[in-house]
Amino acid sequence: MQRITIDPITRLEGHGKIEIFLDEKGDVANSYFQIPELRGFERFCVGRPVEEVPILTNRICGVCPEAHHLAGAKAVDAVYHVEPPRTAKLLRELLYSAFYFTDHTTHFYALGGPDFIMGPGAPVAERNILGVIHKVGLEIGGKVIQARKYGHAVVEMIGGRKVHPCTSIPGGQTKGITVEQRAEIEQMGRWAVEFAQFSLKLFNDIVLGNPQYVDLIKGDMYTHRTYYIGTVDENNFVNFYDGKVSVVDPDGLRIGKYAAREYTDWIAEHVEPWTYLKFPYLKKIGWKGFVDGKESGIYMATPLSRLNAADGMATPRAQEEYLKFYEALGGKPVHQRLTIHWARLIELLYAAERWMQLVTDPEITSDNFRTLPTEKPTEGVGIVEAPRGTLTHHYWTDERGITTKVNLIVGTTNNYAPIQMSTQKAAKSLIKGGKVTEGLLNMVEMAFRAYDPCFGCATHSLPGQMPLEITIRDSSGQVVEILKQSC
Amino acid sequence: MKTIVIGLGNPILGDDGVGWKVAEEISGLVLSKSDSIVVDCLSVGGLSLMEHMIGYNRAILVDTLQTGLHPPGTVIQMQLEDLPDQLAGHLVSAHDANLKTALQLGREMGVELPEQITIVGIEAQHVYDFTEVLSPDVMAAVPQAVQLVSDILQIV
Repeated sequence: MQRITIDPITRLEGHGKIEIFLDEKGDVANSYFQIPELRGFERFCVGRPVEEVPILTNRICGVCPEAHHLAGAKAVDAVYHVEPPRTAKLLRELLYSAFYFTDHTTHFYALGGPDFIMGPGAPVAERNILGVIHKVGLEIGGKVIQARKYGHAVVEMIGGRKVHPCTSIPGGQTKGITVEQRAEIEQMGRWAVEFAQFSLKLFNDIVLGNPQYVDLIKGDMYTHRTYYIGTVDENNFVNFYDGKVSVVDPDGLRIGKYAAREYTDWIAEHVEPWTYLKFPYLKKIGWKGFVDGKESGIYMATPLSRLNAADGMATPRAQEEYLKFYEALGGKPVHQRLTIHWARLIELLYAAERWMQLVTDPEITSDNFRTLPTEKPTEGVGIVEAPRGTLTHHYWTDERGITTKVNLIVGTTNNYAPIQMSTQKAAKSLIKGGKVTEGLLNMVEMAFRAYDPCFGCATHSLPGQMPLEITIRDSSGQVVEILKQSC
Repeated sequence: MKTIVIGLGNPILGDDGVGWKVAEEISGLVLSKSDSIVVDCLSVGGLSLMEHMIGYNRAILVDTLQTGLHPPGTVIQMQLEDLPDQLAGHLVSAHDANLKTALQLGREMGVELPEQITIVGIEAQHVYDFTEVLSPDVMAAVPQAVQLVSDILQIV
């Protein structure tokens, strides 16, 4: 087999690209998944007052600015060595729970769910939210719009704006909520819990009730035995906003938990010559290549990962679903990537229940929502769980609080190595003897869409059918076939 | 007739911010001239964008395009129906429905959405690097884009 150099210098025009190399038999020898990268963010932040950075990082992502804002807010608190009062933390977590509710709803009904509800073999034109509505009923469309409306309303009340919040400052929040707003948020929260339960039931009936889907979900093609990480509270229950990051091995054994400031002891980044992206891995285990198993430091983030890395859910109904999940799938940890869709719905229910817990806390309407920082700023790390995975913001400043350095590990970055492995595995199953199975694009797309990846999403947002180009080369490097979707 | 003009893009990603720049200039022109025109700047696509258009009869979306078919700074006008999916830029997202699907969803739900959606697109290349500065070709296109939107709105 000829050695081909892939040059990552070619600028990817907003779409993902997979290069597949066949061996002499026409089976897949290797595949390489490349995506566009946004560059210069750190440089852009340097020189600015550090409290601006959470507002700027908001703009990295048009889909989860709330996640960046809160990770940034926590990093800035850490930079100033200030602890926000309990009310501020309640408000931030309430905003975040409402955001999670909206985000997970949107993902399930508009992106991930259609693959199952319509069936992976359904024509592309039907595999979207409209297909779902036509199949399941018109009222679902209305509910999805309602869910989003409620979630955005809560974010706006607490965060100051519908999508890009701006109320977190060093030491807390710029404002609290009134008694009237609290009542409104509670009412919406009750609806949210019911909608989450409805969504789980839908998944149960349509997806788990279909043996073909169950085989797909449980099958080997989308399975990898890796380490898992996710933030947990002091009881080791899943928490999106605060806690320590739990790390478990492929057998489910917890190997440790780290606080935000300790992340550099745990996470390192590996470089490959064929892409600008770096691949995070567990330092204590080491980089052994794109392989599964206990000896390999590759780990995953995502909803599935969070459930695997925790001992349970902190709210009762979500906890029931958590137990059902593991019972159905044969115990912890679960390695089949398509179950991320199911795990996401369990998180949806938790987000709604948590919303209710927070909004009914007596201190939620207190006007003690800020502690004034008094210490000199230096350096700080903030970690939250973005829907796609653990999000880390690390800021350094001079003594005036002017930013000198920024490092971010965004949700999807944690999953670069698993995504590379999942797409390669799908390609290997589907291309044999030089024959490309129909539906390759689709099946490969399903492999990485389960991760709900966030690629350059702040800019030329990629089309809803992920724009993707797959180039297949034979053993001498000649292009055999190019498959394109939405590009 | 209620009209919304939406500048789409990311103001800290170089040329990706041109939609906002045009909308900001339009905002200045519109302020004293009309009650029935609203101008907004957004960084969303799909379902969120559809939700922002609820209640309007007409919408004008100003955004970057990356067709590769025109030199950077070319200003193009088209109706939404004429936009091929792969050029949809901000109008679609990897995390929710594309705009056309979102609009169809809204209409099926009986929500009031614009009958006319016009796109004013500016061809651009440098949209992957963090900067608040537009490249010269794209900066030079701003007055032309502003004029085009004014003409559509018939503001003197």
